[in-house]
Amino acid sequence: MSIPLTNYPLMPKSAKRDLLPGLLDLLILKCVATQAMHGYAIAQYLQSATADVIQVQEGSLYPALQRMRQKGWIKAEWRTTPNNQRARYYMITTAGRKQLGEQQDGFTTLVTAVQRVLRLA
Amino acid sequence: MREFLNRLVDWFHRDRLERELAEELRFHQSLAERDARAEGASVSDAPFVARRRFGNATSAVEDSRDRWALPTLDHLAQDVRYALRGLRRSRGYTATAVITLSLGIGANVAMFGVVDRLMFRPFPFLRDPAATHAVYLRATHRGKEDWGYGGEYTRYLDLRRFTTSFSNLAGFAMQNLAVGTGDAARERRVATVSASFWDFFDAPPVRGRYFVASEDVTPRGAEVAVLDYTYWKNELAGRDVIGERLQVGNMLVTIIGVAPEGFTGVFEPAPPAMYIPITLYGGSNASKSDRETYYTQYHWGWMSTMVRRKPGVSVTQASADITQAFRKSWQAERDMDHSGESIAIAKPSGIVGPMKTAAGPNAPLAARTALWVTGVAVIVLIIACANVANLSLARALRRQRETAVRLALGVSRGRLIGQMLTESLVLTVSGAVGGLLVAHWGGAAIRRMLIATTDASLETFTDWRTLGAVAAIAIVAGLLAGIAPALLAGRGDLAATLKAGPREGTYHKSRLRVFLLVAQGALSVVLLIGATLFVRSLRHVQHFRMGYDAAPVVLVGINLRGMTLDSVQRVALRRDLLSRAQSIPGATSAAWVSSVPYWSTSSTSFYVAGIDSVNRLGRFTYQMTTPDYFATFGTRIVRGRGIEAADRDGAPLVAVVSESMARALWPTEDPIGKCMRMRKETAPCTTVVGVAEDIVQQQEQLTDPKRFQYYLPAEQVDPRAGSYVLVRMAVDAPAKTEQVRKALQPVMPGQSYVTVRPMVNLIDGAQRSWRLGANLFVAFGLLALVVAAVGLYGVMAYNVTQRMHELGVRVALGAQAWDILRLVAGQSARLTLTGVVVGSGLAYLAGHWVQPLLFEQSARDPMVYAVVAVLMIAVSLVASALPGRRATTADPNTALRSE
Repeated sequence: MSIPLTNYPLMPKSAKRDLLPGLLDLLILKCVATQAMHGYAIAQYLQSATADVIQVQEGSLYPALQRMRQKGWIKAEWRTTPNNQRARYYMITTAGRKQLGEQQDGFTTLVTAVQRVLRLA
Repeated sequence: MREFLNRLVDWFHRDRLERELAEELRFHQSLAERDARAEGASVSDAPFVARRRFGNATSAVEDSRDRWALPTLDHLAQDVRYALRGLRRSRGYTATAVITLSLGIGANVAMFGVVDRLMFRPFPFLRDPAATHAVYLRATHRGKEDWGYGGEYTRYLDLRRFTTSFSNLAGFAMQNLAVGTGDAARERRVATVSASFWDFFDAPPVRGRYFVASEDVTPRGAEVAVLDYTYWKNELAGRDVIGERLQVGNMLVTIIGVAPEGFTGVFEPAPPAMYIPITLYGGSNASKSDRETYYTQYHWGWMSTMVRRKPGVSVTQASADITQAFRKSWQAERDMDHSGESIAIAKPSGIVGPMKTAAGPNAPLAARTALWVTGVAVIVLIIACANVANLSLARALRRQRETAVRLALGVSRGRLIGQMLTESLVLTVSGAVGGLLVAHWGGAAIRRMLIATTDASLETFTDWRTLGAVAAIAIVAGLLAGIAPALLAGRGDLAATLKAGPREGTYHKSRLRVFLLVAQGALSVVLLIGATLFVRSLRHVQHFRMGYDAAPVVLVGINLRGMTLDSVQRVALRRDLLSRAQSIPGATSAAWVSSVPYWSTSSTSFYVAGIDSVNRLGRFTYQMTTPDYFATFGTRIVRGRGIEAADRDGAPLVAVVSESMARALWPTEDPIGKCMRMRKETAPCTTVVGVAEDIVQQQEQLTDPKRFQYYLPAEQVDPRAGSYVLVRMAVDAPAKTEQVRKALQPVMPGQSYVTVRPMVNLIDGAQRSWRLGANLFVAFGLLALVVAAVGLYGVMAYNVTQRMHELGVRVALGAQAWDILRLVAGQSARLTLTGVVVGSGLAYLAGHWVQPLLFEQSARDPMVYAVVAVLMIAVSLVASALPGRRATTADPNTALRSE
């Protein structure tokens, strides 16, 4: 099963198959936290790291990257790939790192809470 | 906020961002295809597999694009382009509006520059301007509250001692002192400041150092000086002057430092030439008693105090602290002198106030005049805005059909209003630029008149305070001028306008426009009445007989620089100076005087038989002088004789009295031969031998009939008294000052020197506010008249265009050219008349406040009102003449054919 991640904010009508708002941001931040990556690499990484559960589409990924850049969480830079192609690499900023910490904590709290409810039910 | 800024930045780079995104997506696609092939897809299938997997590239582009699109900004850019196009089409309207706004805005920016500089702009380098204050002390004397207290150095020491609210206090004063020696000596402004003064500023010296507390000590501070930067550059060529010595007054000071460029201390309008310790000046006073007691007693008031509040101390607390300290100090003075009034009667109190005295409780006349003129400038701006509003209202009405069509095509009313506002903003921005130019050229002239400085440091184009003011004024003006037409554009019956078809036959009556026209007219009338009043007042002042001729006279001041001469030497000096002065080519006569009108007066007690106390009648001032006085100064002898050479020591004592003094003392008798006893009731008779015309010695006396003055021969009373010489020149006295100085300086002994200035300067200075009021009122009044006339013309011309059809019908029905003309001119005259009535009413009401500024001129003079009314109506007829002529050309054929 694969769950498409849609763009933020999520539309409540199609909420059935959507993930929590802001999750894509969190995942992207996590990706670029350790090294600079280009868009395709981010998508590939998320897909393989989640064993194909999460598939990020271009239509969601690139607007999200623009939005996060404008918020000052990540910055972009044109570099050359090992295959000698020009690609835009994204890397995390100090503000982004702070954001990542907050979102990560928030997400963990949320997941724990949800699990607790599910166990009780 | 940050996100918005980034979006804004991106908006400007949106083309580049779009290219980059496209490249990024191409790269993504190519990698995806490569991977698809690696997973076994055929070369031809790979792109589709890749696209399926990664979804919609178009939506990626569009959603990303939203991230750097700012719809409001896009609309704004579009509106600006639209507005520029529209304005280019109607050049006459644009030019009128921009010129009107430029004048209105320019007048206000210029006045802002003056008022800001005079009252608000903090002194440069001041460390914490908000917590720094000048101390103002007041007390009640003879039932009148007076702010002129606190000038004694001892008082300053008391304030230091008795207060706890301040982290720093400093004393400061400005003196005119001779700098240099011999022929090179020149009077300069020298600041005397306490050592603590320097701690108020963050301004390290560019050379050397400032003086410190150990150099600022009683009884006499160290002989050191810190130079002003400009003085150092201009007079000493910026050379290494540390350690050099300089004669300043009667002090020989060593230069220890140079203040940084732009440093002016707390002194206006220009920086002093140098700064010396305040205790050096106090301890060097020419008077021995002042020199020895200035820091222990309260006889000599000459300086001011500034303070910095400690953090956490409010202005109210600080003022209360000053008041209690002043009360203690007042008591200390009473304990010492056993004189002065008790605290209960004098009610001594004080405040910490603005550093700028013009904003303080005892503001000089120039500051009040500046505020008045600012009010006038604001009125001009309101008129200008009303005018532009009216013009654009007319324009909006003309474009009503266009607007209706656009609305019908689906433009939102919001967008439409936005466009109208944008148009008026574009106009105001152009007006603001024009206003800056007006302010730059006009403002220099106003500054010269109001604050007597030609200082170029107030750069109109780079000063952020001025630019901020321009922006604020322009925005207000833009909104004022644009709001009415914008609202109109969003209103109205769409269907009716569209149905009316292209025929422009309907005449739009707009109450708002009538109101604007009447308001403009009324305000113009107010300003014109003000202008006329001030001009007439100034003329009265200038034609007023002061009792002497100032124009041909130069005033020579004698400064002995602390040197003491015995009576023999003094009399010799006086004879030398007078004889030398009389031998100057072009000089007709010279006199030695003890006081000078508009400069100083002297008075003493005297007794007259039959009058209990002459002092109760008013203040009697005297002049001790030499025989040539009346010829030199042009004061006419009305009865009897003047002072003659025979009135010397040993001869019978004589006096000449002024007419009003003679009337007050001997109302029914002949004053000649009457006896005055000087100082003591038992003193021998001083016999009145002549009556001279009244003279004006200070501005207040212009309106005061009590001009009590008497003249005594210096030879008989005190041969040593007096330190001025008046020299009458045959022609062009103001240009001869240097010639007089050169002739007299060699007579002066030792380091003493003379200063020479034209007598008119003294009087002109005092009359400046009248001249200024008249000039500025006339300038602004005429400005208002022109603006109002242009407005009237524009509206009339527009109305005629609107009514062409109706007028055509009237002609067809038999109306003559005269009838048509009367119709148009009548409408204009009615509007103007209403404006005149309203404006006259306003001026009548304002008359109460204007009256004190006028001289021998009633603020409610019906003649003035009548003249202005006639002028306004004449202008309105001229303004409607052209449109009226066009109206007579209304063609009945065209009108009837389209019916």
